[in-house]
Amino acid sequence: MTATAQMLEIPELRSRISPITVAQYHQFPEFNENGRHTELVRGLVIEKMSKSPLHSSIARRLLKTLQMSLPPGFILLREDPLTFSDSEPEPDLAIVRGSEEDYSESHPKSAALVVEIAITSAAEDRSLAALYAEAGVDEYWIVLPSERRIEVYAHPQNGIYSDHSMSNIGSTLQCGSVPGVEVNLDELFH
Amino acid sequence: MTAAAQPLAIPEVRAHFSPISVAQYRQYPELNENGRRTELVRGIIIEKTSKSPLHASIAKLIYDGFHAAVPNGFSVRQDQPLTLQDSEPEPDIAIVRGSLSDYRVAHPTSAALVVEIAIHSLSLDQQKAGLYAEAGVEEYWIIIPSEKRVEVCTRPQNSEYLDHVSVEAGNVVCRSVPGIRVNLRELF
Repeated sequence: MTATAQMLEIPELRSRISPITVAQYHQFPEFNENGRHTELVRGLVIEKMSKSPLHSSIARRLLKTLQMSLPPGFILLREDPLTFSDSEPEPDLAIVRGSEEDYSESHPKSAALVVEIAITSAAEDRSLAALYAEAGVDEYWIVLPSERRIEVYAHPQNGIYSDHSMSNIGSTLQCGSVPGVEVNLDELFH
Repeated sequence: MTAAAQPLAIPEVRAHFSPISVAQYRQYPELNENGRRTELVRGIIIEKTSKSPLHASIAKLIYDGFHAAVPNGFSVRQDQPLTLQDSEPEPDIAIVRGSLSDYRVAHPTSAALVVEIAIHSLSLDQQKAGLYAEAGVEEYWIIIPSEKRVEVCTRPQNSEYLDHVSVEAGNVVCRSVPGIRVNLRELF
């Protein structure tokens, strides 16, 4: 464990952590001291992890599926930043409303759909649900390849998703917020 | 619990936390968004807590005692930064070698003695021993009023102090600065 991670084990220190603002975060170099790409979560700068082959493969399949069914008036993002009030996550995939010209000056502030792929543990991705709900992201999917299912969070209201559901193998998941976008789980986890 | 503390409850998030360098930390304003003073510990920016009357009075007592006794060639600092490799803590009291004019351009990078008063922060203050030891701080005292004792850490080597003694009565005598001592009865 690094000296920093060891410090973070102390609950009292965690309760006193001073968040970085989004504006301060924008002044950071693209790669941190460890040469890692980062994202901002609740004012905390978090290193992005290197991706397993499974993670990359599922991301590519999903990208293709979503791209094929994407209706006009939406764009598909892959690992691009979303700028929220206290966070700047870079979800694996996201579908946002509008066209490319809308986002040449600033990153999208919300999304119609956000997808995260959870390989080792879903705890981190589940903790992001509040972040996406607060920003009004209509639907949030956590893809769990090891369990061959997708957790679906919908209807953001006052910072939480009121609807939780699970899509399993043998079914097709239809996105409630982007017309025509659907994922066949048998094909995805084939 | 603050919003930032919530994700940190998850071990994976703690493992992926990206530390801030001392240089980056220096670019931030003196007070953070919450209007709080901060310090940097192992690349983590933390807020300084407001001091309880007990904390403030013990700090003042120690500072006044040290100030009266400190020999030439040393100076006593209260709540002032030390610039370490990955940290910029502001210990309650520090005695550093040299005079005020030595530190007009840069903060001290080590100290002969550091004293922290642990009211609600014992585990954090104990963990700070690692960073003081790395910086070659010769002695580190943790004052623990609730237990009426002082933990004395000496002989820094790498990231730890080789000797730890708990003093519960009499005087704590500093071996690195001549004439510097604290009487426990006066302190508590």
